[in-house]
Amino acid sequence: MSSKRHRDIDEPLAGAVSFSRGTSANGHRKLALRARLFNFIVRVLAAALAFVPLLSIAQQERANPFHGDAEAAEAGRGAFRIYCRPCHGIDAKGGRGPDLTTGNYMAGNRDEDLFVVIAEGVSGTDMAAYEDRLPEETIWSMISYIRMSAIEGETPVTGDPAAGEKLFWEKAQCGNCHRIGGRGGRLGPDLTTVGRSRTPAYLRESMTDPNADFSGGYQTLIVTTLDGGTIEGIEKNYDNFSAQLMDAQENFHSFLSSDVRSIKRELRSLMPAYGGSLSAQEIDDLLAYLAGLGREESQQ
Amino acid sequence: MRTSLAPAMHAARVLASILLLATTLAPSAALAAEAITNERLLSAQKDAESWLMYGKGYSAWRYSELSEIDTSNVANLVPQWIFQNGVEGKGQTTPLVNDGLMYVTGPSNHAWALDLLTGRPTWHYSSTVPKGAHGCCGQPNRGFAALGDRLFKVNYEGTLVALDAKTGNPLWETFVADYKKGYSATGAPLLVKNMVVVGIAGAEFGTRDFLDAYDIETGKRVWRFWTIPEPGEPGGDTWGADSWQRGGGSTWTTGTYDPDLNLIYWGTGNPGPDMDGDVRPGDNLYSCSIIALDADTGELKWHYQFTPHDVHDWDAVADPVLVDLKIEGKATKAVIQANRNGYFYALDRTNGKFLFARAYTEVDWSDGIGMDGRPILIPGKDPTEEGNKACPGLGGGHNWHPTAYSPQTGLYYFDSRNGCQIYYKTKQGFVEGQWYQASTTDNITSDPATSSILAVDPATGETKWNLELISGSSSGLLATAGGLVFGGDGDGNFMAIDARAGKPLWRFQTGGSVRGSPISYRFRGKQYIAVAAGSALLTFALPE
Repeated sequence: MSSKRHRDIDEPLAGAVSFSRGTSANGHRKLALRARLFNFIVRVLAAALAFVPLLSIAQQERANPFHGDAEAAEAGRGAFRIYCRPCHGIDAKGGRGPDLTTGNYMAGNRDEDLFVVIAEGVSGTDMAAYEDRLPEETIWSMISYIRMSAIEGETPVTGDPAAGEKLFWEKAQCGNCHRIGGRGGRLGPDLTTVGRSRTPAYLRESMTDPNADFSGGYQTLIVTTLDGGTIEGIEKNYDNFSAQLMDAQENFHSFLSSDVRSIKRELRSLMPAYGGSLSAQEIDDLLAYLAGLGREESQQ
Repeated sequence: MRTSLAPAMHAARVLASILLLATTLAPSAALAAEAITNERLLSAQKDAESWLMYGKGYSAWRYSELSEIDTSNVANLVPQWIFQNGVEGKGQTTPLVNDGLMYVTGPSNHAWALDLLTGRPTWHYSSTVPKGAHGCCGQPNRGFAALGDRLFKVNYEGTLVALDAKTGNPLWETFVADYKKGYSATGAPLLVKNMVVVGIAGAEFGTRDFLDAYDIETGKRVWRFWTIPEPGEPGGDTWGADSWQRGGGSTWTTGTYDPDLNLIYWGTGNPGPDMDGDVRPGDNLYSCSIIALDADTGELKWHYQFTPHDVHDWDAVADPVLVDLKIEGKATKAVIQANRNGYFYALDRTNGKFLFARAYTEVDWSDGIGMDGRPILIPGKDPTEEGNKACPGLGGGHNWHPTAYSPQTGLYYFDSRNGCQIYYKTKQGFVEGQWYQASTTDNITSDPATSSILAVDPATGETKWNLELISGSSSGLLATAGGLVFGGDGDGNFMAIDARAGKPLWRFQTGGSVRGSPISYRFRGKQYIAVAAGSALLTFALPE
């Protein structure tokens, strides 16, 4: 069967396609002209139709052909595990990216809304656009999978965001290293819109176990200079011949490996774990503050 | 006046046409002297001035006999020119050099001829990749093959094109495989006699793959060897049910050729789908193998399968390097490979007999390779729905990056990634032209893989030195008679390493991930090193 399948491609294109111009027969030219005219008319009609301002029709055209289709959802699960797993987790329960089993999505809860997110990505977050990488059917089947796995409610965020904001800038001193809306330090990640790009569960884990995930960087480099001094900071680059880092005072350092005694990378965050120094209520309050960052704007 | 001028005008015309004839003849006569012939290809390994094929010579040693740049002066190496091609994607090419020009392929169906003096392009070939053509890993191209005044390259959507080396104009273009079915073409062809031998990619899309040979004059196919046999053919019983139809076995890198034995050696890729072996019970021949084919007919003379029934995507696509070794005191015509599965192998290239294998990196899936050449499997290492750890990770060990063998040191050089990954299996239906890997892997972030460049004694598999790297080698390697090995990393460092001691002696930050394979040639009496990095082609030489 397969050998038959390939028989049609046995002949080289060379015989059919000439690279010199003007060698095609007259009849062929007429046919080609007619085909071009036809194509042109079709295009003009299509362009005219595109300007018809019936948004609802366009949206209806985007209806999920596999809505509720268990078989398609299973295929979608396969694709999900390949493309979405790195951020949303192997079972869609979230990680760096949002938990998708909650049934509630920032971009809207219809299949069409999820399609736009997957196809076009979300600016200002890590969510990439997949329309050039995946066929539409695959995206729809992934949406079917996501919706059919959406059974659990999102862990409710119960804390007081105002109390959390106060904690952030005062007792917990988060602002020494993190920046929100132009205020605060620059050693750690900017948290201005972190509520959009990270799940509450991920944020909670980051506060209680800052060493849990280094997939976004922020590991520690320790450089020992020739005179025995050490400089510790956040890794900016570490390659085969040099290292660049930022220390806790936000000073930038660059070293050639040949100029220092040693360079060591540790999967350890410079951020302290807050599980001991803050109460459970205080962690909840901070979480409520962080989880809301960036969400107000996106709902406008 | 007019009449008296006429004879002078006539004489001037005659003179002019003689001059014109002389000037048009002169360069072509020069070209004829330097034209690439089959004889030159057969001795390409010894041709230090040029670089005439992907692996330098038919044995793929990637060894240059030039020694002007050596361990004592390499620290002075400086850039000579840099050509920025402006095309997105990372260059993986091995440039060819002949008679004052460098022929470079780029990603997405681009190619150039560059002037060796200045790096300025004398022509640019490009051909639009059709929308919908896609593969696993970008749209790379790994280089040209050449004969006479013709260059041969694959285009990404699955065609083979012949270009006029003087102009870059296409002479013919042949359909190799249908991108709509998931095929793509990325490898450098191998020129054997009057044929261009071409591999294909697509095993992540459930294609059934092959190796082809095409006539250099007409572009017509001379033979095809299906790497996945049909039921009834030898090896056809190593596939359950109709799984052979989606069996993969890509040929996406470049093979080697032994003219004395008239055999072509080529590595084959993973069986499809990569990580779900349940749907394809059996050994899955001839995936993850070296196949040895009669050069004239494409007939299979022998095969050796490194990883029977592979479920970790361990393609056998590393260079099948041909080298004559003294193994346990016995002179042996060997073919060697640093396989993705973590073992270095030596086979008898006359008959495919397994000679020995030795792990060069952490291996947890097998307890060595038995005398019969089959791995002694450790159970419980297959991918699972929940994820299961195995070492090496999906890319190996050593992946496809071209390797180097130095007859000067007797060592074989290749890069390795040392570590493990979590392998997931997912039940997946087959849809023609769509991703069919079933399913994926994860890095173990708490225990990240390390990288190294290794020097291995090919007669024993013993590692002689191990240069540990912070960021892994991402390029091919080049060995030179100057006692050097050149290579580059993903962070843009291009470096020269002492071939005996394994210590870096020189480096240059190229500004782009070094994915190309370095070459060396001589121009106007001076040794050059050239390499593709990012979207650029860089050349280096010693200062005046």
